Amino acid sequence: MIIAKLEFLERARLDRETLDVWIEEEWLIPTRTATDMTFSEIDLARAELIRDLTRDLGVNDAGVGVILNLVDQVHGLRKALADVLQSARERRGRPGAGASKGERR
Amino acid sequence: MKDPYEVLGVAKTATPEELQKAYRRLAKKLHPDLNPGDSKSEERFKEVSAAYALLSDPDKRRQFDAGEIDSSGAERPRERYYRDFAAEGGAAHPYESRSGYADFTEADDIFSELLRRHAQEARRARGRDVIYRLPVDFLDAVNGATKRLSLPEGGSLELAIPPGVQEGQVLRLRGKGAPSPGEGEPGDALVEILINPHRFFTRQGDDIHLDLPITLAEAALGGQVRVPTPTGSVILTVPKGSNTGAVLRLKGKGVPRPGGRGDEFARLKVMLPLEPHPELEAFLANWKPGPDYDPRRDLQP
Repeated sequence: MIIAKLEFLERARLDRETLDVWIEEEWLIPTRTATDMTFSEIDLARAELIRDLTRDLGVNDAGVGVILNLVDQVHGLRKALADVLQSARERRGRPGAGASKGERR
Repeated sequence: MKDPYEVLGVAKTATPEELQKAYRRLAKKLHPDLNPGDSKSEERFKEVSAAYALLSDPDKRRQFDAGEIDSSGAERPRERYYRDFAAEGGAAHPYESRSGYADFTEADDIFSELLRRHAQEARRARGRDVIYRLPVDFLDAVNGATKRLSLPEGGSLELAIPPGVQEGQVLRLRGKGAPSPGEGEPGDALVEILINPHRFFTRQGDDIHLDLPITLAEAALGGQVRVPTPTGSVILTVPKGSNTGAVLRLKGKGVPRPGGRGDEFARLKVMLPLEPHPELEAFLANWKPGPDYDPRRDLQP
C-alpha cells in the first residue's frame, strides 16, 4: 500500500511542520519520487509510535532518536535470531544428516 | 471491566500529575513497541491506555466518579503497532538496523554466512510492479505507435505500442515500476491497453469489418470503388449485380499478426439517391422485371 503525503498526514494526525522535522531527524524515511514522497503502512505505524513516545510517555526529542535506534536494533536482532533458529531447524530436519543419527554411530 | 484506578495503581484521590506518572511508568514497561517479543504486553497496555484516557480527561473522570459512565469504550482501539511491520520475516524496510549484532559477523563464520545471505536477500528484493491503463486510438492499435504515458506522480514513460495490439493486452516495461527498497531491481510498469472504437472500422480478432455504401448503379452494373483500410485506401472491384449484405474480402488488409496480416471485410450496402429522382422513378414505374424477381420468396410461411 502506497500512501500519498496528504493522506499520510491525515491518517497519522500530523501537521506538515512536524512531519518535516521527523523526516529531517530520520525518524521517518519516506520513499522519494521525482517530485514528491510516498509512505507505507510501516511509516504510519512508526509515526504512531513516535507520537506515543512524545505525547504519552513524555520522551523528549533526543530520547526519541535513541529509542527508535534501539528499537530498530532489537528488530534487527530478532530477525537475525529468527534466521539462526530457522537454519538450525532446517539442519536438524534434513534426512540423513540428523544429529541423533550421528551420535549413535 | 476493571476499575481504571486499580489498573493504574493509583488512589481515587490521585492528582493529574500522579496519574500521568503512574501511566508513564506502566506504559514504558508495557508499550508493545518497546517489548517486541512480549505478546501479552499488548492486552495490558490497552487496558492501561484506556484507563488513562478516561481518568486524564477531567470531564470523563468526574462522570465516572459520579457513576454516570463505566470504564469501557473510552478510547478508539488501536489496530497496529510498529512491531507488527518491523517483525522478523517481514519484507525489507528502511529502518532495519544491523548495529546490534554486526560485530558477531566478523567473529563467527556460520553466523556471518547466515546473516550475509539474509542481508543479500533483503537488498536484492525487487520493487513493486505498477499498473497503468492506456487508451489507444483504433488505428494506432492496428498499425503500432509510440505513446507517451504521463505518470500520476510526475514524469512520463515512452511506450512502443506493437502493431496489432489487442484490447486488454498488457505491455510490460521492464524496470519502470517502483524502485527496490534496497539495491535490487526496480519493478516493472504494466500497461493495460484499451482500444477506442473507430468511426467505421470494427475489429474481430485480426480481421477488420466495414460497411461499404455503394450506389444503385455500382450494385447493378459493377464498378471500381475506393475503400478505406487501416493502411490507406485501395480500389475494390464490385462485381456486377452485387446486393446489400454481400461481403467482399480484401486479403491481407487486416490487423498485423505474426507471419502476415488478417483480412478486411467490406459488407456492401446499396444506397438510393438521397433526393427524389424523377427519371429513376419513371423508369421503375414502367420497368417489368421477370416473375423470378421476388426478394421475399424465402419469407413465405
